[in-house]
Amino acid sequence: MSALAAVRKTLHLNRENAIGYGLLIPSIIIFAVFTFWPFLYTVYLSFFDWNMISPEKEFVGIRNYMEVLGDPRTYQIFGNTFLYIVILLAINCVVPYIFAFVIDIVLKRWNGFYKSALFLPAFISLVVGSILFTWILNPVSGPLAIVFGWIGLEIPNWTKSEGWVILVLSLITSWKVFGYNFILLYASINGISREIIESARLDNVPLWRIFFQIILPMSSATGIYVFILTIVQSLQYVFTPVKVVTQGGPDYASSNLIYHAYHEAFVVYRTGHSATLSIITMALFLILLFLYFKFVDRGIYYEN
Amino acid sequence: MKRFLQTICFIALMLFLVACNSEAAGTTEDGKTKIEYWHVNAETQGGQTVKQLVEDFNAQSETVEVVAKYNPDMYKGLMQNLQAEAAAGNAPAVVQVGWSFLNYFSDNFSYVSPQTVIEQHFPEDETFLQDKFLPNVLDLAKNSDGEQVGIPYSLSSPVLYINRDILREAGLDENGPQTWEEVKEFSKVIKEETGKYGFYFQEPADNWATQALLESNGAQFITDGKATFASEEGIEAYELLADMVLEDETALHIGWDQGVQSFIDGSVAMAYTTIAQRSNIQDNAQFDVAAVKSPAWEGKDVKLPAGGAMLTITAPNEKEQKAAWEFMRYLYSIESMAEWTKGTGYVPPRNDVADAENGLKTYLEENEMMTAAVEQMDGVVPWASFPGDAGLEAEQLLLDLRDQILGGSISVEEGLTSIEDKINELLND
Repeated sequence: MSALAAVRKTLHLNRENAIGYGLLIPSIIIFAVFTFWPFLYTVYLSFFDWNMISPEKEFVGIRNYMEVLGDPRTYQIFGNTFLYIVILLAINCVVPYIFAFVIDIVLKRWNGFYKSALFLPAFISLVVGSILFTWILNPVSGPLAIVFGWIGLEIPNWTKSEGWVILVLSLITSWKVFGYNFILLYASINGISREIIESARLDNVPLWRIFFQIILPMSSATGIYVFILTIVQSLQYVFTPVKVVTQGGPDYASSNLIYHAYHEAFVVYRTGHSATLSIITMALFLILLFLYFKFVDRGIYYEN
Repeated sequence: MKRFLQTICFIALMLFLVACNSEAAGTTEDGKTKIEYWHVNAETQGGQTVKQLVEDFNAQSETVEVVAKYNPDMYKGLMQNLQAEAAAGNAPAVVQVGWSFLNYFSDNFSYVSPQTVIEQHFPEDETFLQDKFLPNVLDLAKNSDGEQVGIPYSLSSPVLYINRDILREAGLDENGPQTWEEVKEFSKVIKEETGKYGFYFQEPADNWATQALLESNGAQFITDGKATFASEEGIEAYELLADMVLEDETALHIGWDQGVQSFIDGSVAMAYTTIAQRSNIQDNAQFDVAAVKSPAWEGKDVKLPAGGAMLTITAPNEKEQKAAWEFMRYLYSIESMAEWTKGTGYVPPRNDVADAENGLKTYLEENEMMTAAVEQMDGVVPWASFPGDAGLEAEQLLLDLRDQILGGSISVEEGLTSIEDKINELLND
């Protein structure tokens, strides 16, 4: 009974907030079952050698960590992941920011049309998108290759060449992510008081200064949200086109951390390696999150 | 609060009902045994025929209902899904197992030999396998211990599809090349005369066509459980392909779907891929298309791995095993086999289908493209399948090597030798 009392005390549990805690329970259960438990199990698996089907798991200590960290391929995949993040930040954070600004502030007509047109692809499944683009971008006989052929240009053999493959897969992913990010940023920019912008215009402040000195700071809360979201998505959403189009190839040149963890677990059945990679990925992102809270979050303008 | 409790009760009730429902999945409402059939046939590769056969079977069977489930990424994909489902404890009843996974499957999964099920429940079918199949065809489905793991179902071999319009335009023999050396020469001429790519060598997630190329030149993929593909002949054969891609730039190095698509729309003159692509190519190509026998190496006999799959019974209990054979017997009837061949281009494994009036007699007379595959069946050898747990990893290493070689990042000799060593190391563990 005294233990229970101690818990009550530390949680400041009383009649008033009991309902609040009660309402939390369902989501805590869901989190526990689908997030915390799998995470702990992953940590557990990272110390074993197991092929997912054999009834016995062999305990190997930190051998998995040594093998994964000693494998040059792991670093190649770190590099790929970083490249994906940079490219997707450019396409899905910077470009939609500018688009949202232009469509809301600069353009006077057709705003509604642009808004829906840019958001539309977000509705279509990424698998369908990937298959479609594989066809459209077939370097030898796809429609784009034919059009390019008329003006004497060639499409690089992107599914089989390093670098290009990451760029094209990023473009396919953007097709899905761009619209959503755009709408978020648009809403945020749209919420900025028109008076400020109008008075800036009356004073003949150039557009680029309106963007950098008024829009950017005033929408920074959403901006940073989209920024973080893009990093997370560029890890996860990229998985679909990688799986559908290249399966990580050519020779792992399009694999990222998430896909490689999948590849290790469900293609070659080395669950130990896969779990280890997942843990390393998580550690990396914990560090990033820490840096974010330490340096970035305090510079953000929150309206309330 | 009352409202809230009501909602909770309602949700609990729904969950309970859902749970009950999933427990009853083994039997349908009208008392039929419900089983799952796993296949790898996408819409363009016989998926429609699978659907048709399953529908017809369900309509005429009073005891069994079959649900067909498509598995993407070919036999490897199916094996992966099966691994996941077996780990979760719910295996399907009938699955297609690709030849290259024969040993891996029999080492790692529980199955029953079809003959066992037949003897237990269907004494009238006791000699079915013996009577209807050629012994060497049945042998394809035996594992390294000589056990009959399944029954051959889809048999295929690689053929060379040619675009006669392009060959004529380039002033070449419209019957296509007979040897690999000629394939290389033809491709050069095609590139010079028409500016188009000469050749596409299929690149799916397996090493089947590679085996045909190497073994026809006298190499052996596996000897006594050891990888031995990096012999002189093996290297010579792989070098021809690598040269065409890298040096001559007459062959296309691209994914399978895109490669076949490029052949169909006339951007590539010749494509070396499975006969199972025949109906896709025949239906969609807008030019004078033909299929010719797999090229040989100058002065050597072809050795073509049997592609395709066998059907195995993975049903966990007797009731489902019985249902599984009932379904399989239907699939192996002359009429169903004939439909299967028409829909996929697979060569029928039964010995009496090709000549039967209710089978393929008239069909083969009308479809010359199939003849190439039927004629070269005497060159068929088992698909190399690496033994033990490392099977999948070895297969993956060879796939990675293909990207490295054709991407130009490693020489053929160095690549083949190092991967052979690596695989043998894996097999020793």
